[in-house]
Amino acid sequence: MSTALAFSLRRKMLMSAAFALVAALLLQELWHGTQTAAAASSPTPAGHPLPYLSPVAMQISPDGRWLYVVCQDGDRVLAVDLRTRQVVRQMSVGHRPGGIAVSDDGHTLYVTSEWQDEVDVIDADHFTVLRKLATGAGPAGVALDRTGKTLYVANTLSDDVSLLDLATGTERKRLVAGRFPEYVTASRDGRFLYVSNLLVRGPADQPPVSELTVIDAAQQTIAARVAIPGVIQMRTIAEMPTNAGGALLVPFMRPKNLNPLVQIHQGWYLTHGMAVIEPPHAEARSSQKFRVTEVLLDGLNQSYADGFGAVVSPDGRWALVTASGADVVSVINTAKLNAIVHATPAAQFELTADRLDLSSEFVAQRLQTGKNPTAVVVAPDGKTAYIANRMDDTVSVVNLGTMQMEAPIDLGGPKSVTRLRHGAQLFYSARYCQQGQMACATCHPHGGLSDGLAWSLETPQLGRDVVENKTLLGIDGTAPFKWNGKNPNLETQDGPRTAAYIFRSQGFNKSEVEDLAGFILALRLPPGPHQSNKGQLTDAQARGRAIFYRTRTNTGALIPPQKRCYFCHSPYTHYTSRVLMNVGTATRYDTIQAFDVPQLEGVAMKPPYLHNGEAQSLEEIWTLFNPQDEHGVTSDMDKVQLNDLIEYLKTM
Amino acid sequence: MGTGMDMRETVMKKNIEKKIHATRKIVRIFLCAGLCLLASAGLKAQTVPLYTRWVNYTQANGFPPGEVFCVTVDGDRVWAGTEHGLVLIEQGHIKKIFTTKDGLVSNVIMGVAVDHKSGDVWIAAFGGASVYSGGQFRNYTSMSSGLANDLVYAAAVQGEYIWLGTAAGASRLDTRDGSWTIFNETNAPFNEPWVYSLAVTPGKVYIGAWGGGVVAYDLAHHTWRPYTDPDGEMEIVLYRNQGLIHNIVSSVVYNADTKMFWASTYFGLSGYDGRNWHNYLTKDSGLASNFVNAVRSRGNAVWACTQDGLSELDYAHNAWVTYRPNSKTGRGEILMTAPDGKQRRLTTPTAPAHNYILSMDFQGEDIWVATAQGLSHGIPERNATKISNAEKIKEKSHESKRD
Repeated sequence: MSTALAFSLRRKMLMSAAFALVAALLLQELWHGTQTAAAASSPTPAGHPLPYLSPVAMQISPDGRWLYVVCQDGDRVLAVDLRTRQVVRQMSVGHRPGGIAVSDDGHTLYVTSEWQDEVDVIDADHFTVLRKLATGAGPAGVALDRTGKTLYVANTLSDDVSLLDLATGTERKRLVAGRFPEYVTASRDGRFLYVSNLLVRGPADQPPVSELTVIDAAQQTIAARVAIPGVIQMRTIAEMPTNAGGALLVPFMRPKNLNPLVQIHQGWYLTHGMAVIEPPHAEARSSQKFRVTEVLLDGLNQSYADGFGAVVSPDGRWALVTASGADVVSVINTAKLNAIVHATPAAQFELTADRLDLSSEFVAQRLQTGKNPTAVVVAPDGKTAYIANRMDDTVSVVNLGTMQMEAPIDLGGPKSVTRLRHGAQLFYSARYCQQGQMACATCHPHGGLSDGLAWSLETPQLGRDVVENKTLLGIDGTAPFKWNGKNPNLETQDGPRTAAYIFRSQGFNKSEVEDLAGFILALRLPPGPHQSNKGQLTDAQARGRAIFYRTRTNTGALIPPQKRCYFCHSPYTHYTSRVLMNVGTATRYDTIQAFDVPQLEGVAMKPPYLHNGEAQSLEEIWTLFNPQDEHGVTSDMDKVQLNDLIEYLKTM
Repeated sequence: MGTGMDMRETVMKKNIEKKIHATRKIVRIFLCAGLCLLASAGLKAQTVPLYTRWVNYTQANGFPPGEVFCVTVDGDRVWAGTEHGLVLIEQGHIKKIFTTKDGLVSNVIMGVAVDHKSGDVWIAAFGGASVYSGGQFRNYTSMSSGLANDLVYAAAVQGEYIWLGTAAGASRLDTRDGSWTIFNETNAPFNEPWVYSLAVTPGKVYIGAWGGGVVAYDLAHHTWRPYTDPDGEMEIVLYRNQGLIHNIVSSVVYNADTKMFWASTYFGLSGYDGRNWHNYLTKDSGLASNFVNAVRSRGNAVWACTQDGLSELDYAHNAWVTYRPNSKTGRGEILMTAPDGKQRRLTTPTAPAHNYILSMDFQGEDIWVATAQGLSHGIPERNATKISNAEKIKEKSHESKRD
């Protein structure tokens, strides 16, 4: 080949490549613009969402140079060079990443993929995936133990913690956590792993009790289950250094769900704060020895909704807690906090748990962040804190010396806001509520879950019609909404009803309601841990399916159509008939007898059950609350059959 | 000359005799040494500690009244199930008596199993099952979960699975996905699904059923094998080692050392080595009573918790020792039975709390014994005072020979 010909070919190739690049950019811009325009012109979101990043977790490399940012919607991890505060590297990871850990030498990252049930092990130097480790269902939080040999992963959907042996890449064991464990961290002395649980187990007609699960790192066994009374949604765990008292700080929401919603006194019907948990002395750690004090971060006239991230400066002087619904980070003077805690008699957390006046004594600053702040980390030198802002794809920078905000770090997400993204921003924001008390996400945490509580909502007769909070995941096509079916669509719920009864404010305007409704209808259920493998049901699930569709009892008697499972829970409409049905579950505290038939998809992750949440398990729906066979004919079934039916329901 | 020759011959003969004598002496010494070694080896095999000291936990010192249904050792901790709650003993002291007020599903505790993987303690109770984890109880009943029945007699841990023996079959909880499986007469060869006992081995789960014999579940192949009265008549064997001695099985245990499973019944004791049965009745052994509530086994020792004392079988040598209180003196009684039936009685200052024994467990060389009136801690003779039962009995043959 002649030199001229080769040069010509190379030039043609270069021109082709340049043309392809320009074309790709034009197409991307065209697609980008189309999406924005389409979304802006349509009352409901259309097409695929833009690749927003939505950062939710962060870690700083041990040398303080790199800030690693986990982006939940972007399915990627970014590396920010903290010298320049620029994103310099990024890589794709598994679907819906939620947690990150960094090895002590800084060379390896561990990132959970909540919807793929695995951990990506990443070479931090080259930003490549080294291997993938299988976990339990819905892995979120992740932490290394002191030895660096075992990775602890909080599995939100299987309610347990995977202990992964990093030498073999296999799961050594699982330890049962509380309900919906979302975050795990190693204690500073390395002897314990602490796990916070988002939801609670227990009867819906009693105040909730959260759990901090404590794992003995040496024995790899459960050391304690510390009860945190009266709260739910325990989030990130920050541990103060020993010189600052050594307590754990865990943000929470404190609901008063059994009080009628009209209650205003002492923080209306929910408040936001944090647990201050003092571990016992090293020689005697047990659940009885942990001392728990609860304090509110809310003020007298202003709430700081949805605590999320928490961190303590290396010198122990300051603690930072993000209020993701308020776009605020509270800077806490730990010395003053400790003084209040130590002045509170042991085990009398009630003395501080409802006091809205206390936060002014220990909160030094309330700093405005970006939209929906989540994780917060502090640089090893203690001079700077970084806050991930989920809803604007930025990282806020706090100068801990001046207590001033510096210029945020742009993570590079799309600058335009689609209506879907706008709906998400509305979903997570509490500024539409009176005194900023709550956002939609307050009672529908972790992207739209039910909080698992029964609430005394609006009713002409106070204290009656207590109803279980419904999930928002996978509800498209299941209208009407509310247990009494009085919301024919989400716009009714999110518009006037929310404004009048929930937020006690002007609420959202019409366009905002449409965006919010569109976002909620776009929420999807995560892959269920009970779903059958490749469409094949297990023997028990197959037997359960036959029971679900059965038309005759065990004795051969014909079951009336309206008392067959599939009659009300139609497989053609998300396993709901979308009408009100009286299945004999009303109690004397209800003013109506018939309730909206709930969809069954994702039913395994939605306890409690029935309209008032009185069934704590699927079994109880039939063992305790179906005495007259009104909720399907089940009295002829034995326990084996009931177990089989439940195993099938879990696959939905 | 002649005399000189005779003298030389005499000297030579004496030298030869001396050498022969020395050689014989050396041979004798070696023979003695060899016999000593053999004897010591034999003694070592036969050495069984005698439990001569008993520390009892009864109502008198703060223990709940009534029967102790089970006892389980968990390292330094001892769990005892009573009619009035679950007792935790640490360092010899009653640390806590857990009841329903603490969150326990019921106060009548029938079985305890420790999950060493997690540190959790599983509790079988009349009213359901509880798990004690990190200082908190979580409960399972047939109403709130897939548990087959609320009369739960036994609990066992098999990897990620928790087995619970109930009055309506064996329930198995998969702790990873929360699913429940019930094994009863509809899907397993249960003549009677009243599950009293569970024993987990690496390859099998043995289920002791009251009236249903022993049912073994093969974990690898998911297959079942029943062990019941071989001819199916009268629930009891007709000949001594014909098969499982009786279908009313109160307890089953697997000995990994001898690879045998043992079953206690209300009509005798059975052991199965995979080929042959080894049955014991009071009439032809040192078993204290045919009414056996529970059996435990390790090494060559098989312990039978009977209604008339705690009997220990040295399986390798067919020697028996029974411990019980003397109802007249209140002192302890040790009854040793040699293979030939000869018996010897010893008296000890202390005794188990009651002769009706329901369960026992090992803590090192110590034993813990559940009785009808309290919990007993059996402490063996220490240092060099271990007694070879067979030798002792042989030395003192003045004792009576049993009928």
